[in-house]
Amino acid sequence: MNNLCTDIGFKSVNKKGEQLCGDHIEIVDQNENSLVLVLADGLGSGVKACILSTLTSKIISTMIANNLSVEECVSTIAATLPVCEKRGVAYSTFTIIRITNNSEAEIIQYDNPHVIMLRGGENFEYPRTSMEIGGKTIYKSKLQLEKNDVFIAMSDGAIYAGVGKALNFGWQRDSIIDFMVGNYDKKMSAKGISQLLLDECNDLYGGEPGDDTTVAAVKIRQRIPVSLMIGPPSNPGDLKKMQTLFFAKEGKHIVCGGTTSKLASEYLGKPVVPCLDYFDPEIPPIAKIEGIDLVTEGVVTMTKVLEYADSYLNGSISISDLSMKKDGASKIAHMLFEEATDISFYVGRAVNPAHQNPALPINFNVKMQLIDEVSKKLKAMGKNISVSYF
Amino acid sequence: MNVYVCVGSSCHLRGSYKIIELMKENIEKNHLEDKVNLAAAFCLGKCTTGVTIKVDEEVVCGVSPENFSEIFNKYVMGKVQA
Repeated sequence: MNNLCTDIGFKSVNKKGEQLCGDHIEIVDQNENSLVLVLADGLGSGVKACILSTLTSKIISTMIANNLSVEECVSTIAATLPVCEKRGVAYSTFTIIRITNNSEAEIIQYDNPHVIMLRGGENFEYPRTSMEIGGKTIYKSKLQLEKNDVFIAMSDGAIYAGVGKALNFGWQRDSIIDFMVGNYDKKMSAKGISQLLLDECNDLYGGEPGDDTTVAAVKIRQRIPVSLMIGPPSNPGDLKKMQTLFFAKEGKHIVCGGTTSKLASEYLGKPVVPCLDYFDPEIPPIAKIEGIDLVTEGVVTMTKVLEYADSYLNGSISISDLSMKKDGASKIAHMLFEEATDISFYVGRAVNPAHQNPALPINFNVKMQLIDEVSKKLKAMGKNISVSYF
Repeated sequence: MNVYVCVGSSCHLRGSYKIIELMKENIEKNHLEDKVNLAAAFCLGKCTTGVTIKVDEEVVCGVSPENFSEIFNKYVMGKVQA
């Protein structure tokens, strides 16, 4: 195993007036370090295309993940897909990106715009070999991965963006490369990259896409561990153990909660310096302790983080919205959603006697549920999560 | 003089934000910027009776917008002038 990991982001817009997307993305995680991503674009649009692309991507991802050859995948699809009455063919294009042990990528492409690869922020023309399978020309590539490699797969809706509207001939692959290179930011996540390109396509279409458009980005990142400690241990005798484990973790450290940060400050022998700035009246101010990357209040802040996680997953807020805000919850959200790849929670189960007041809207169960819920959302963002209770 | 306003979870929920705003306003109004150093504090340990403030070493509980001016006059003005 190396210190790289794979970050994936994808997004689609439907052809104007369609409720279903004719493009489909399927991801199979083989283990922590290997995965198969398939982007399929079904013939036509609407329900027919949706069925074709869903079948295609499901079949291919499952077969490839089980080490069957491309030839077998293609013949299975040809034999399985329903034939379109109008056009007399069964057809769905596909792009396969397979990452093995976070060290090798295999790209197999059939009739989708070719995958764009950025290495060090520049366009990288990877070698492609063509082969004929059942009358179809399929391109295969295999290459060794490097840190910050980015693969961008798209359906043809991306290159037709703006045809007859903003641009006469649509947006060629070369122009997309220029756009992505020009807007390259080393820190951008795969989700950010796919969003960036898709938004641009949608803009070129004037918000009325002439075809289903899908962008999937795969980014090879260095693992960035972040550890978060919240709450003192239920048995005070475990405090030393909890703190030692927490501070021994490499990467960034976040401490949440008044008592927890006081204990951490005693452990480190550095004072807690609370900030007075209420950037958001709803979220308590943060504090500073030398040696800890971020110190915040506990329950109220985490509740807000959970809210942000929901909004982030459903697309109503973006990373740039979060990075502009300075309150504790936005700062935690930014570190966990954008920077971190591996997150370890150290959760203390002590009951805060001060919270045992029925007049307070804080209770112990809420706190435990919060961490559960936040972990679930982070998993949905593709993070590796571990939670230890004390 | 140091004045700390607790911004722990319970005090926050009971309105620390408002109290800090009132503190800032009143310190400015009475031209005490040079004399009073306003800061936030993480939990002062009096969660059930917040909002809690600490004036130098004295802890004052149950501060609310309603009793704010009374408390400000007694603990801040009173002591600064003494």
